[in-house]
Amino acid sequence: METAMKMKKENNMIGKIWKGYSFIFVFFIIFLVYALSSSTMTWSATMNILRHSAVIGIISLGMGLVCLTGEIDLSAGSTLALVSGFSVIVFNATSGNIVLTALFAIVFGAILGLVNGALVGVVKMPSFIVTLATMLIYRSFSQYFCQHMQKALIGGGSSVYRMSNSFDGYQVMYSLGNNKLATIPIVGILLILFTAVFVYITEDTKFGKKVYAIGSSEKGAFMTGINVRLMKMMVFVIMGIMVGIASYLWICMNASSDPATTGSSYEMYAIAAVVLGGVAMSGGRGKMLGVLFGSLSYTVIDKIIIALKMDSLINNAIKGIILIIVILIQVAGPEIKEKIKR
Amino acid sequence: MSLLEMKGIYKSFSGVPVLRGVDLTIEKGEIHALLGENGAGKSTLMNILTGTIAYDEGSIRFDGQELKNITIKKSEELGIAFVHQELNLFNDLKVFENIYINKEITTKFGRLDKRQMIKRSRELFENLGVSIDPTAMVSDLRTGEKQLLEICKALFFDAKLLILDEPTTSLTNEEVEHLFKIVNDLKQRGISFIFISHKMPEIFAYCDAYTVFRNGEYIGHGKIADTTPNDVTRLMVGQASEAGKIYKKRKVGEEVLRLENVSGKGFNNISFSVKKGEIIGLTGLQGAGSSELMQGIFGSEPIYSGTVKVSGETVKTGSVHRAMKAGISLLPSNRKENSVIPDMTLIENMYLAEHTLSAGKFQIHKKKEENNYLEYKDKLNIKAESGNDLITSLSGGNQQKVFIARWLNTNSDILLFDNPTQGIDVGAKEEIYRLILRLAEEGKTILVNTLEIPELQQVADSCMIFYNGEIIKVLSHDEIEEHRVMMYSTNSVGAQEGNTNGNSDEDEKGK
Repeated sequence: METAMKMKKENNMIGKIWKGYSFIFVFFIIFLVYALSSSTMTWSATMNILRHSAVIGIISLGMGLVCLTGEIDLSAGSTLALVSGFSVIVFNATSGNIVLTALFAIVFGAILGLVNGALVGVVKMPSFIVTLATMLIYRSFSQYFCQHMQKALIGGGSSVYRMSNSFDGYQVMYSLGNNKLATIPIVGILLILFTAVFVYITEDTKFGKKVYAIGSSEKGAFMTGINVRLMKMMVFVIMGIMVGIASYLWICMNASSDPATTGSSYEMYAIAAVVLGGVAMSGGRGKMLGVLFGSLSYTVIDKIIIALKMDSLINNAIKGIILIIVILIQVAGPEIKEKIKR
Repeated sequence: MSLLEMKGIYKSFSGVPVLRGVDLTIEKGEIHALLGENGAGKSTLMNILTGTIAYDEGSIRFDGQELKNITIKKSEELGIAFVHQELNLFNDLKVFENIYINKEITTKFGRLDKRQMIKRSRELFENLGVSIDPTAMVSDLRTGEKQLLEICKALFFDAKLLILDEPTTSLTNEEVEHLFKIVNDLKQRGISFIFISHKMPEIFAYCDAYTVFRNGEYIGHGKIADTTPNDVTRLMVGQASEAGKIYKKRKVGEEVLRLENVSGKGFNNISFSVKKGEIIGLTGLQGAGSSELMQGIFGSEPIYSGTVKVSGETVKTGSVHRAMKAGISLLPSNRKENSVIPDMTLIENMYLAEHTLSAGKFQIHKKKEENNYLEYKDKLNIKAESGNDLITSLSGGNQQKVFIARWLNTNSDILLFDNPTQGIDVGAKEEIYRLILRLAEEGKTILVNTLEIPELQQVADSCMIFYNGEIIKVLSHDEIEEHRVMMYSTNSVGAQEGNTNGNSDEDEKGK
């Protein structure tokens, strides 16, 4: 009798952990598959997961915040293309000033986010529509200006923004994007740092509580004096800043940005990572730590496909299927449990 | 033979009886008023009649036919139609599409026969003297027209009995007259109506018979011609229970809140002032303006004109945050929608309002918040296991205490309580009354809006009664008496001049 009760209690504990941290289980299952499928599992290969998750991970953090308020940002990928492209121009025009380039990326990202935020928060337009429109607009700008810019500014070519390697700053940025610090990629460390900041903001600050409150009950939040419009605007600006930072890392890692392909469908990967991380799309529920694991999980899937020497075209199909399975368990799980109980 | 006979209907929800053997008899071609206070069981009975909920015991005869296991479909087929207070129309469809929804006329090939549907709708409207264009969008209709459309819709499918649930709350006087002209016309053709309303003048102008419920029990019925608003009101409220009187007079201080000619959505030209330590009750029927006024003062709904002053200084209205800074807080009605943040814990829910006032400090002190919560937990007697449980794990009464703590925590001096005991069990209700009295004792300035008159007797120093957006009467504490408040709330005083006063005097002598 006593053991039965104890077992029940333990079951509850496991259930609770599973409910709150299922994203970690999902990650480890996927990672295990990777470890088994890869014949050359090494420390550096594992650390590379962090490196390849950096850009999408940082975008996902911003997306996670947006989703917590119950909104969505479809323009993230296009913003990445536009900001990274223009940052390359700034880099080339300032003879390789890395600080100005970084500053530009962040401010420009914030401005693009502000456009979304003002329309969603202040004008109260649906975020799906607003960011669908800016997704088209930002991508188109990125491609258009690449064609109509002085050749020198975009690094000589005609369809790609390329950083000129004749400046000293080039090497500095390249090392930031590709070097390691104590065997850990620098961009990976940045991802973890940003995750820590976001975990802190969402769990230990008044700002974070307001974000959750708005996503959980907008009317209720309003009735406690929260300025819902301003908050939504701020969340989109933060999202823009995160994409700005991701853009900077992107050009650090790649030294160029192709306006046609850079960040293409990244908004979808980010949303998938957010959902996989356990954030409810209706808002108000989920953890920022989950978003990190969500984006890591997707990078591991890439690695598995490479390790198994599969055609990379199957990549998205597998990602999609895993997303459906995980959400299926989350949605249908409790219902099935209820039926078994009866 | 009667059209409808409901006998000994008994219904309980999870062990709590809501209807205790009630009777209702409706004759052919009559307008029958179903009367009773909120929670008397009127809507439950109507939902049983339309098959929305099942009844435990009793018998129902309709049109000479014994009914068992009523379903929504069956009651519709029999010709019983429920015109709900919140209209069940599709705003984005056209008038005729609404009439024919789910009963569309189609051609041989399954295509919608719009011409036929429009033609028949037009014929019906002409027949009834209703001037609605069948091809208009429902969203373009006025509320009165929508109300008529609902009735027409029911008649289209040969309704014999129409249930009108407070159909006139959002109608203008002309619209009410028009509505009843049509209702009367239909009555002549043998159609019966059950009319649920709190407005005595209407009931006495248009209805033929009445039935009164109180607390789920059948109290009486009769012909309207044989009674007076005064007697009917007495049946509705019964004898007020004297049990547990906790009201105590307090010393009041200087004036804190002052309203001058305030008008807004749903209320007009309101002026009054409240002193420190005073509790003023607001009451009136749903939509009479008292709840709307509270939202206006709190800034969550706009105020069109007039001034709100706190301690002599004018507060700029229209912003919740500004009102909170001026020391005004509102415990809103409809807790589930307006107060509860369902995904958050007790402590998080409690601290949300304080956070918006102290936004300068970025970080949260979890330990401090927890200690503060424990203090309020003791003070307000919140029954909860842990402050880190979800708010939704608490009962309604305990949730409400958390929300009272939410506002006390902001140190505001003016507390507006809008229906504070809505959906709360009796024991917790009394706790909340005691709490309100204690807060006034501690120097808070308090307004309590409520539909329940015993509540006013427990806490209010005086009471303002709202009717149609205006304060129709102010009563002192000793004058607050269920029957009298009901008379003013339903504006029966006008319908029965002079008589009221004499009767209430008698009433007091009787005690």
